[in-house]
Amino acid sequence: MQITITGLKKHYHSEGKTIRALDGVNLTIEANKIFTLLGPSGCGKTTLLRCIVGLETPDEGEIKIGDTIVWSNEKNIYVPTEKRELGMVFQTYAIWPHMNVFNNVAYPLQNMKMPKDEIAKRVAKTLKFVQLEGFENRPATRLSGGQQQRVALARALVAEPKVILFDEPLSNLDAKLREETRKELRMFLGELGITAVYVTHDRVEALALSDMIGVMRAGNIVELGTPKKIYFDADHQFVADFIGRANLIPAKVTEETSEHSLVTTAIGSVVCQKRSFDPSDELTLCIRPEFLDFKPASDAINRITGVVEQMVFVGEVYESEIRVGTELIFAKLDPQTTLKEGDHVTFSMKPEHCLLVSR
Amino acid sequence: MERRHSRLTYTLITIVSLLTVAPVVMLVIGSFSKNLRAFGDFTLSKYIAVYTDPMLVETAGNTLVFVLGSAAFATVLALFLAYLNNRTNIPFKFLFKVLSVVPMMIPHVLFAVSWALLLNPSNGILNMWLQQLFGLAKAPFNIYSMPGMIMVEGLLDLPIAYLIISPAMASFDVSLEESSRVFKGGPMRTLFKITLPVLRPAILAAFILCIVRVLASFAVPSVLGMPGRIYVLSTYIYRTVTMSLIADYGKAAAIGMSILVLSITLIYIYRYYTRFSDKYVTISSRGFKPAVVELRKGKIPLFIMLIIISFILIVLPVLVLLYTSFIPYIMVPNGQAFAAMSLANWRTVISDPISIKSLGNSLFLGIVGATVGSFLSILVAYVIVKVKTKASGFLESISFLSFSFPGIVIGIGFMWFFVRTPLYATIWALFFGYIATYLPYGIRPMTSAFVQIHGSLEESSLVCGASFATTMRRVVIPLLVPGIVSGWVLMATMFFRELSLSVVLSRPGTEVLAVQILRFSEDGQWGKLSALGLIMIFFSTLMVVGVNLIGNRFKPGEAKDRKPA
Repeated sequence: MQITITGLKKHYHSEGKTIRALDGVNLTIEANKIFTLLGPSGCGKTTLLRCIVGLETPDEGEIKIGDTIVWSNEKNIYVPTEKRELGMVFQTYAIWPHMNVFNNVAYPLQNMKMPKDEIAKRVAKTLKFVQLEGFENRPATRLSGGQQQRVALARALVAEPKVILFDEPLSNLDAKLREETRKELRMFLGELGITAVYVTHDRVEALALSDMIGVMRAGNIVELGTPKKIYFDADHQFVADFIGRANLIPAKVTEETSEHSLVTTAIGSVVCQKRSFDPSDELTLCIRPEFLDFKPASDAINRITGVVEQMVFVGEVYESEIRVGTELIFAKLDPQTTLKEGDHVTFSMKPEHCLLVSR
Repeated sequence: MERRHSRLTYTLITIVSLLTVAPVVMLVIGSFSKNLRAFGDFTLSKYIAVYTDPMLVETAGNTLVFVLGSAAFATVLALFLAYLNNRTNIPFKFLFKVLSVVPMMIPHVLFAVSWALLLNPSNGILNMWLQQLFGLAKAPFNIYSMPGMIMVEGLLDLPIAYLIISPAMASFDVSLEESSRVFKGGPMRTLFKITLPVLRPAILAAFILCIVRVLASFAVPSVLGMPGRIYVLSTYIYRTVTMSLIADYGKAAAIGMSILVLSITLIYIYRYYTRFSDKYVTISSRGFKPAVVELRKGKIPLFIMLIIISFILIVLPVLVLLYTSFIPYIMVPNGQAFAAMSLANWRTVISDPISIKSLGNSLFLGIVGATVGSFLSILVAYVIVKVKTKASGFLESISFLSFSFPGIVIGIGFMWFFVRTPLYATIWALFFGYIATYLPYGIRPMTSAFVQIHGSLEESSLVCGASFATTMRRVVIPLLVPGIVSGWVLMATMFFRELSLSVVLSRPGTEVLAVQILRFSEDGQWGKLSALGLIMIFFSTLMVVGVNLIGNRFKPGEAKDRKPA
């Protein structure tokens, strides 16, 4: 089911200050896709999710789930949370401690007044799906973090909602379990093919899970796109920086051809992929460390020489900083390299990897 | 070290056994004895006499209604207030802190009396005022009734119920409720299927503790129940030993046995539930922020309600006593009443030798008793926390035994005990009785203080060549000051206003304040009662404030050494 959000505003007042948690958000979340709201803490992503589910009331705007308006201040419509027919996985899982696994998962169906044998059948099927068969009578207080997570997922899926919402569901798991669960979640959601809205501040989670990512900052959606678009082709410096490690160098366009732009920067002139910008925009050159080529051909474009200032061995690579003029360029060097601190080094950057973004 | 510890442990076991186990044993033997002078002369006649008394059925019925009614009222009100404080945006939240602490400083007997002054059917101030206002033929309310008793007792137990429920409500993970809403549970269903069941351990713990306290309650049943001839078990015992021609301590012991057994059983259930509640708390995950329910239309009415409850619990009793202490007889506050005001009641009380004697006795018991009690508590708490042997476990269970002792019942047990010693009818009978009965209140804050002191602090002192006594004096006790202060204050205020044990053990010459106030109340001498009651509240507050000030002077330098909890 498609979710349409128009002009959504939500302001908080605390200690005389106004915090614009949502500052007029317009967003269409396509049906049957996994959509991720990504952003730093305090950007409004959780508030937006809570508005969709109805746990928070916006100040202005409209929210439509499918063809039903669930909230509109103009039309004075408010559909309470329990009538919105959504599924949700909470950050804290919110597994009810006084119930066993069966009752936790059966709760939505019991509220739908479904016959008992039908409930039993559906719960069994869902628990099998999340690989928790045989856990029906386990008290909720005796589940591990990963198991609680699966119960939370089972509970969100059992009533077969058209939309399922995730509020940072992996943030309470330890690193190893988080990686495994992320893979499983990707598989589960792939099989189900329902609309999923996923909130996270973890860029790897967002890239790995999503069909579409919306990056948020200060109550606004800054950029919208597929994971590849967001990673390789961001329009904004904030997005490019947030989604992964990048060298960001202020740049000015001096020449333009049909395919390329020539910019001057602190590390010299660089030939970039051409992009159109508003003439008033200030620009930044963005280049990711993995695209620095340390074995450049002698006629390569964008050949740059610098001095290795720092090398830190972290296993799979050397994380190193290379001084070029006033800039420090972050690079990942082959762990077998013979380079050492103080050495001069030359690298090149392909124009298609040199991305101009607006500041 | 080990040997010293075990010697200390066994000495303490002996002392505490004498204080807490002895009266129970004496109560049991006493209940099978013919009379105080024929101790140990086995007979079942007392049990037969008491448990076939036709009055008992009515008394037991009254007790059941009184106990369950008051406990339920206190728990429901506490639940409501805890919700308002922790989960809504009601203004002036400091009122809740005041509500949970200040009523403990007003002695129960005075609180009960102030309601008698307001709502008694013949000349209750509020009753007379309402009669004048609406031209009613008779008083609209009668506080000398079961509903009256339940209301007053429930208000008295509100703070303790609140102190148990409020922390549970504060640590409640709101996403549990939110997830219920998402999964199609409406507000009512969420309340009954999620919120209340998750809080159930705390609610039940509060309810059970209230039951135990109401079962032991004597102030309200004696001040408000007896004038209306509504007897509950505690007043039934009181009547058995004071109002019949021959005081029958055997019968009193026989009836007391069933209260004691019930009380101990309930405390075990209470402990079971409080252990359980920890389990629920741990599951609530980190990083949740308590969502606040925006009160919109309800804000003002709920706030007014909160103000009224605070007024009723804290201001009203003192106000009523103050007013009554200045007027010659009970009348509605008006020009005539203000014209008749004088210091007459105050003068009579100050020149009344028995009142002055009772004040002196209560001050002695409060200050000296609490000091000795605190000292014993420090030693017991030390052994409980630091010495982990079977013997120290045994010491812990006998020390907390008296937590479930209803004062009047254990008073009967002490009676059987003291009558065989030279302590009988001396102030020392009350002295030891008080320490025995309220020992858990002294130990509890000290054990939590000891838990915070790391063992290496003592060990390093011993390594430095200090003796055990020096280690205690120089290292352990200074770190314990906050615990000692709160333990001392709790004991001192409880001793200073003790009623239910005292009505059994107090004799001419060993009168104490609360008993003297009960006498005034039985005689209807409201003016003198009010003056003496205010003197009581004054000294009680003075002790609390004074000791807290002294304690604060110790804190700053020492507190740095303390291991964060």
